[in-house]
Amino acid sequence: MKGFKFSAWLSTAILCFLFWLLLTWSFAPRELILGVLVSAIVSAFASRFLIHSRAFYLYNPVRLVLLVFYCVIIFFWEVIKANVSMAALVLRPKLDYKPGILRIPADPELKSDYGLAMVSNCITLTPGTITMETAQDEEGRNYYYVHWIDVAETDRDKAGEAIKGTMERWIGRIWK
Amino acid sequence: MDVVDLIATILMVIGLFFAFIGTLGILRMPDVFGRLQASTCISTMGTIFVVLSSIVYVVAHGMSGSVVVKLVFILLFVLGTNPVSNHALCKGAYRSAKPNPEPILDDYKEDDPQ
Amino acid sequence: MTAFLIGAIVCLILDRLVLYRVFRGPTAADRICAMDALDLVTALALVLYSLHTGRTIYLDIALVVALLGFVSTVFVGRYLERRL
Repeated sequence: MKGFKFSAWLSTAILCFLFWLLLTWSFAPRELILGVLVSAIVSAFASRFLIHSRAFYLYNPVRLVLLVFYCVIIFFWEVIKANVSMAALVLRPKLDYKPGILRIPADPELKSDYGLAMVSNCITLTPGTITMETAQDEEGRNYYYVHWIDVAETDRDKAGEAIKGTMERWIGRIWK
Repeated sequence: MDVVDLIATILMVIGLFFAFIGTLGILRMPDVFGRLQASTCISTMGTIFVVLSSIVYVVAHGMSGSVVVKLVFILLFVLGTNPVSNHALCKGAYRSAKPNPEPILDDYKEDDPQ
Repeated sequence: MTAFLIGAIVCLILDRLVLYRVFRGPTAADRICAMDALDLVTALALVLYSLHTGRTIYLDIALVVALLGFVSTVFVGRYLERRL
């Protein structure tokens, strides 16, 4: 099979088996054996889509704790702020807003595909901004193209600070 | 009605209020991009707070642990899949639909990274 | 708890409001955006109703509804982008 790696297969199989345990919520022996079989077969097909490099990167407990802390505190606070401003925009009696699509630069420390994907997903999840594309220029810098519903700042660097907030710094600590 | 039920009801009302904001945005906004931005309210605050109130209720009434796991899975699935579909739909709408308030600046058309 | 039943009914009313945009929306992207929101609100209604009745089978249905809405929205988005 093209692109098959044993470490990627093992990592995906462990993830699938944890998922199976949580969804079935029983420890009867036949369920456990069936779960091992199903997760081994499924991850043989799916591992090359899920993992490209550094298969056991996220199994480090420090990174897991950082990830949970980021999701529960930092991301939740950003979502609440953006939602309240979106509610104020929608409940206004007359809708007047200035939309725009901006090219904002990414943090140069953040190189990996997973980090870029997670930052752009978090930008999309805060109401008011949607990531349309990430692109790379000739010198290897990454950019996000973000649709912003109420453009408050036309300078690209300051707009990047306003859109990303503290999210990118925390994701940079997790994914490098 | 004891304190736990009151907390669960308050959390649910917050979630449903933001779901109502998303619905109102879908009805009121003049073009596709505004509707997409408003519908994100439903998938973040609406889902987060409704699932939180359900978790409070389930834990306080001593139901099975698998219910809590399923609720957390619903939350994680929605939060993980909704940005992907919004991103795909936004790019598709950029190719096919016409924006109603013209964007004041459009770097995507100038650079054209395709 | 009765409050959960009232919440589920409110979710169904929001469903009907979103359905107006599905019938009315000028372009295909409008309709698909409204259908995505309708899937999410239906999943929320199923969660609340399952806690009201205490039958947890509705939670599985809510999970499947949310996932199927995601798949169909991504397909139509790729189609509108003329990549499919």
